[in-house]
Amino acid sequence: MYAKLVFRNAKRSVKDYLVYIVTMTICVTLFYSFLSISSSNYNPDIGTEYDFTLLSDGMKVAICMITLLLLFLIRFVNHYMLRRKQKEFAVQSIMGMEQKTIGRIFFAETLIMGIVSILIGIFFGVFCSQFITAMLLTAYGKPYEISWTLFPDTVLLTVAFFVLCFFVVGIFNTRAIQKTKIIDMLSADKENEPELKKSRFISGVVVLFELFTVWGLIIGIQKVFFYYDTRFALPVQLMFWGNILFPLLTLLWSIFCIIRKKKRECFIAGLLICSAWNAFTAASVAALTNKYYLSLGGGTLNQYLLFVLIDLLFFICALIYLISGLIVAWKEKSPEHRYREEALFFLGQIISKLNTTSKTMVIICITLVLAIFMFVAAPILTGWSSGYLDIRSMYDVQVYSKYNDVYEEKNLPHDSYEIITDFLAEHKIDTDYDCTFNLYLPEKDDFHNRQKYDFPITAISLSDYNTIREMLGYEQIFLGEDEFTTQWKSIATEEEKSSFLAEHTSVATDGGTLNLSEQSCYGEAMGETIYNAYTNILYVFPDNICKKLLPVIKNRYITTTENISYENARKLERLFTEEYPEQTESGVMYGIRFSTLQTNSTIANNFVLQAAMLYGAVVLMIICLTVLSLQQLLDAGQYKYRFSVLRKLGVEEKHISKLILKQLSVWFGLPIIVAIVIATVVINYFIQTISAEISAYIGFSTLMLQIGTTVGILVILLICYFISTWIIFRRSVNS
Amino acid sequence: MNTILKLEHIQKYYGNEGNITKAIKDISFSVEAGEFLGIMGASGSGKTTLLNCISTIDTVSAGHIFLEGADVTEIKPKALARFRRENLGFVFQDFNLLDTLTISENIALALAINKVPTGSVEPRILDIAEKLNISDILNKYPYQVSGGQKQRCACARAIINNPKLLLADEPTGALDSHSSQMLLSTIQSINEQLRATILMVTHDAFTASYASRILFLKDGEIFMELRKGNDSRSIFFDKILNVLTMIGGGQSHVC
Repeated sequence: MYAKLVFRNAKRSVKDYLVYIVTMTICVTLFYSFLSISSSNYNPDIGTEYDFTLLSDGMKVAICMITLLLLFLIRFVNHYMLRRKQKEFAVQSIMGMEQKTIGRIFFAETLIMGIVSILIGIFFGVFCSQFITAMLLTAYGKPYEISWTLFPDTVLLTVAFFVLCFFVVGIFNTRAIQKTKIIDMLSADKENEPELKKSRFISGVVVLFELFTVWGLIIGIQKVFFYYDTRFALPVQLMFWGNILFPLLTLLWSIFCIIRKKKRECFIAGLLICSAWNAFTAASVAALTNKYYLSLGGGTLNQYLLFVLIDLLFFICALIYLISGLIVAWKEKSPEHRYREEALFFLGQIISKLNTTSKTMVIICITLVLAIFMFVAAPILTGWSSGYLDIRSMYDVQVYSKYNDVYEEKNLPHDSYEIITDFLAEHKIDTDYDCTFNLYLPEKDDFHNRQKYDFPITAISLSDYNTIREMLGYEQIFLGEDEFTTQWKSIATEEEKSSFLAEHTSVATDGGTLNLSEQSCYGEAMGETIYNAYTNILYVFPDNICKKLLPVIKNRYITTTENISYENARKLERLFTEEYPEQTESGVMYGIRFSTLQTNSTIANNFVLQAAMLYGAVVLMIICLTVLSLQQLLDAGQYKYRFSVLRKLGVEEKHISKLILKQLSVWFGLPIIVAIVIATVVINYFIQTISAEISAYIGFSTLMLQIGTTVGILVILLICYFISTWIIFRRSVNS
Repeated sequence: MNTILKLEHIQKYYGNEGNITKAIKDISFSVEAGEFLGIMGASGSGKTTLLNCISTIDTVSAGHIFLEGADVTEIKPKALARFRRENLGFVFQDFNLLDTLTISENIALALAINKVPTGSVEPRILDIAEKLNISDILNKYPYQVSGGQKQRCACARAIINNPKLLLADEPTGALDSHSSQMLLSTIQSINEQLRATILMVTHDAFTASYASRILFLKDGEIFMELRKGNDSRSIFFDKILNVLTMIGGGQSHVC
């Protein structure tokens, strides 16, 4: 009998469950399609030089972590369904059905709907996973063809994961139904907002913020005490003092407000301004450290990033909290706006909703910022790393050394790394080019100069330079006697180059002074290891001059006829590191890089990063939009009553439609606009900090194109949600 | 006296062919300006349907309703809202106040919807609040005041635009006896001092006894009409009870 009831209920209320089914289907689709590539049955043809396992493990962990967020959404949608069906439950319990049974029936209904959405979701997931495969094979530079396969282990994992979710949520729901009183169920949809009370969560947020400010102040004082130097440039000095001044101001303002018993809104408005300043000064730490090579250390930078984050979070909380206050103040001040047609009604709607849901609003705002940031940052980070890969892995094998910790000239590297020659011969790997070369210091006296911002530029002999150019397929260059030229990293800016060349028309060396050649600079990509640490430039000197100089770095670049396989590369890497460890007693640092290994790990990491970030961003975005739209639909009962009052008062339908549109626009617009503004600031800061890398490895036009596409997707998602909410909302208000 | 409302052979049917329910069979009556008319009847007698037709919320199946000479049944659907807000005032059983607005804002909303100049909104609210004795609670929210106060606020909202006709649907339905009495005195004073024409639907004899004339409905027809004339309220009350006894079954059924 009950089974019949369950099925009939489920069939009849498909329309009621539409939001639920759609949301769940989207979740399952995303979950399945992203997870499918980690299936053990998934064997895309990516070639022997790549190892795929690296990718799938990372992928599985990333996907599952993000999907936990979905639990939150499932819980919320269930709550919505529960509210909608309250009246039905009431009737059933009045008829004498036990509340336990009602709970079970509801659970069975949601389970049926859930299973339906899992099936639809997996069906769509099979389609969507094709996109992911396409994305993957493009990442590995292979052509792709579409294949329709269902992976049993992924299906099993998907079903298991979601059914588990349903059970967890179902238990909560059954409990909730058991605890609800019949009378509350009966009056559930008649109930207006019980009371317009301000949520207390802002007090907690303020206390936390104050605690962090105290911490920030202590750190600020510490940093000045340990690191401050009057010789620093003015912006750095301002940064040091700013990081004491603004936290101090924040605390003083709080004390002032408590003593003078200022109004809460006023107090929080002050804190809002302070948090913006705090965020600004804290953010300047990372920027200035980059620019002026400050030796604050990674820990400090992370600490200040944390402060920026805390300040931003507080800023969002305070802003949302103050918005309803602002609207109230504006309403009080201007009777001409207040008493214009339905304005009173509209303001009343917004204020009452904002007051009771400011916490949800804050969470939605923060999540949206995160989602937007992830959307934009994913292409930047992967573009950066794959651009960097092209520049880094120009040779099939590259051996490099560093002398940063060598303090005796006799300890400098002299080996020509014969172990590699032996290994290649043993494994019958032919080489096209093989070049072992030195990098020299122009002046011997610079050997002991180890200041980061004044690290000596090294030089290469013309013949070695030309060999490497030939290796990479560039043209040969020529130098006159007593002439030199320069080779630049791609990250170097045009201004940097021209100002350097203008100042350095000649260079003093141990072998005599050299003048700048007519063709004074070359910018072709030649890898990272050809330059000395902390420098973006390399001198090219005639061979006879180099003979008189002190060689400090010994490198070896090899290109092979065929790609070295993943296994061989790993083997050689192990052998090499045994003989030439990264840290030696003499202080020389050795390293070996294989394009095979670099490409493999970079592509895999990039893919996991990009897929995880995009997946995360889409999931977050959908969660936010669903919550926003359900928040409105959840209250449709109340709104129906309120709009019916308006109708009885004689408001035209046209005005009512306009009011609905206005209300939904504010409801969707407010968190989205706040999120966009904050995200723009954060992304701007992010792009500013790594602008050199972006222009070197990605290019701003490509970046803008990517950001444009992202914004486009976001706008489409938003419009879809907005329109569907609008339609359902209008229907429920008009019915 | 001039007639403000005139109903001519109103009929209202529900349902489709073969299964027609006649909610109102044939009703005609008129209301004079300044009159306080009560409409009584048991459940299902058609009184709410009648009120809905007069208030233009529902349409009639046949017949005409004239408000100050204008035929309400001929107004185009688009112009109905405007007609309602300019000519009619409503008081409902469940108050119909907006919980998101204060009492004064609830009243102001009615003015604002009628596009009253913003400058005169507040003085008018203060004026009406004083008359209905709700000045102290103007800045409270509906859930902070009692049912009687809520209903007086609803009255204030209904009459603030000086409607030609005030329609009250069971105004005391949700109130206790003391609050009912207070509210009815208020309505009476609205009728007497502000010269408002009131049409009140109720099934409660005590509430009806405040009216100056009562129409009794039975099965969609006017069963009887009772005028207060110069009677005291208690005599009028007894007369009403007698009529109700007569309607409720009639002697023929008892025998």
